[in-house]
Amino acid sequence: MTTAGELALATRDLRKSYGKRVALAGLDLSVPSGVVYGFLGPNGAGKTTTMRLLTGLLHPDAGSIEVLGRPFGRRDRRRLFEVGALVESPSFYPYLNARENLRAMGSSGAKTTNARIEELLELVGLTARAKDKVGGYSLGMKQRLGIASALLSDPKLLLLDEPANGLDPAGIVAMRETLRHLASTGKTVFVSSHLLAEVQVLVDMVGIIAGGKLVKEGSMHDLLHDEDVVRVRVAPDQVPAARAIIAALLLPDPGVIESADETSGWIIARIAAERAGEVNRALADASIYATRLEAGSQLEELFLSLTADEEAGHEGTFQGIR
Amino acid sequence: MRILRSGIRKLGRRPATYLTFGLLAGLLALIIIGVATSIGEGGPDPEAQVLLTFPAAYALILQFVIGLGGLFAVIFGANVAGSEWGWGTFKVAVARGESRSRYILMTFASVAAYLIVGILFSVLVGVAAAFIGANIAGIPTDGMTDTETLRDLPEQFARGWYVMTEQCAIGFAVATLARSQLAGIAIGIALYFGETFATIFLPDVVRYLPFNVASAALGSGGAFNGGGDGGPDPLSQGTAMILVAAWLFGSLLVAAVYAERAEITG
Repeated sequence: MTTAGELALATRDLRKSYGKRVALAGLDLSVPSGVVYGFLGPNGAGKTTTMRLLTGLLHPDAGSIEVLGRPFGRRDRRRLFEVGALVESPSFYPYLNARENLRAMGSSGAKTTNARIEELLELVGLTARAKDKVGGYSLGMKQRLGIASALLSDPKLLLLDEPANGLDPAGIVAMRETLRHLASTGKTVFVSSHLLAEVQVLVDMVGIIAGGKLVKEGSMHDLLHDEDVVRVRVAPDQVPAARAIIAALLLPDPGVIESADETSGWIIARIAAERAGEVNRALADASIYATRLEAGSQLEELFLSLTADEEAGHEGTFQGIR
Repeated sequence: MRILRSGIRKLGRRPATYLTFGLLAGLLALIIIGVATSIGEGGPDPEAQVLLTFPAAYALILQFVIGLGGLFAVIFGANVAGSEWGWGTFKVAVARGESRSRYILMTFASVAAYLIVGILFSVLVGVAAAFIGANIAGIPTDGMTDTETLRDLPEQFARGWYVMTEQCAIGFAVATLARSQLAGIAIGIALYFGETFATIFLPDVVRYLPFNVASAALGSGGAFNGGGDGGPDPLSQGTAMILVAAWLFGSLLVAAVYAERAEITG
């Protein structure tokens, strides 16, 4: 049993290479019990390798893993009886229906009951389609069934790789509520995702990985407010004037205005969060009224700033339309 | 036992199971009915009529099922093992904390259990077809109740299941190593027929190989493996039975050890 304050998941100096390619170069994660933890990183940063190591699919070259307060190695597979996982795409027998698939999954690892299967089908909204073959399911339905499969053994620790993949907006909201509810009952949810906006509203803690190493870890609130950023939105035609007023406030270093978008009206400035009111007053004095004013960074900005080096060195980075 | 029970349930719902044994039984029925309808038209060799004549038909039908069934067993074993990797369901079991080798071995045990059902089904279809064919050809069916022949059938059935299980294990192990249904089936079939061709170059070695020892264990001298005349001298039945066990358990050991050590990606 883990108690409050204990770590549900920890890795120390975790290393893994595929031939000469280093996937993890000493990963140190600390995931407290009872939180939703967002695990972020650019493509190829080592997220899926980490997931595979945490579920015993791969074995580390070096370093250690602790699951629910106890060491997890090659001979500790039973520790996974208390862990539910959805690694990469959901996997099923296409010729079986949802109920039969969950029954088949439940025949390995920790024991499960028919009542639990029915409860999970209801939870993920698949009761009405439980008799349909999974081969005919949409990606979103498979994803929901994958989440049900991960929850089969009522795990204390849930590892989900891109759980929102293929879900429609209502499905994403329902998943978010489910995961938040699980955390509120003391379970730990470890989620890797590319949907930064979704992660920002879902998770309590975040870990950002780049180049096989953790580059930032902490509570979502602290990470975003550690960043001295003020974001202000004005009418697009007032952006040049507003920019000049904010720049004057920032003297002698007006160059710390990060961006001023004349389409959306957003101006982002590197300035202490407590000076947001001062910015607002200066703009109002010039009859420019902010429609939005936010202190602190957005997860996307933080993510991009922390992983910029990795992205720059990534041969396969998508360059966008020029 | 949970994995074995689940494996049997899964195979009972799997289209490949019905396709494999349906094809085997269907081919047998077609051949028998073909023989029956061509009698009197100067069609088949009169010796082929023995296929419609009981009690000799029992042994011939069983030999056909086990002989051609060996190839089907290779394909069936490869299909089941390869799909566990291809569909990612083995990955799910490992991530749930299941023992990798136990999962692999119990999955194979469920396949072996289904071979019993498949052989029995095919033989029953063959016997029914032979009965119908005999009536079409006007051959008496009095011999169907020959007690001496019927008494020997279970032993022949058991021996046939044993060698088909060994051949199935070869396909199962190959697909496990290949982590793919298609590659497993292709390599399994290539090995099955490759043995026959290899007799030209290495007759003394080939008789120890899995499909030849299976034929020798049945006392059929390689006839079902396309060996026929001119093949290597078959091993004694007793030696062959031991070698069948060696290939069976060796294949399963390789599959289990590989699964235990495999790095599961994708």
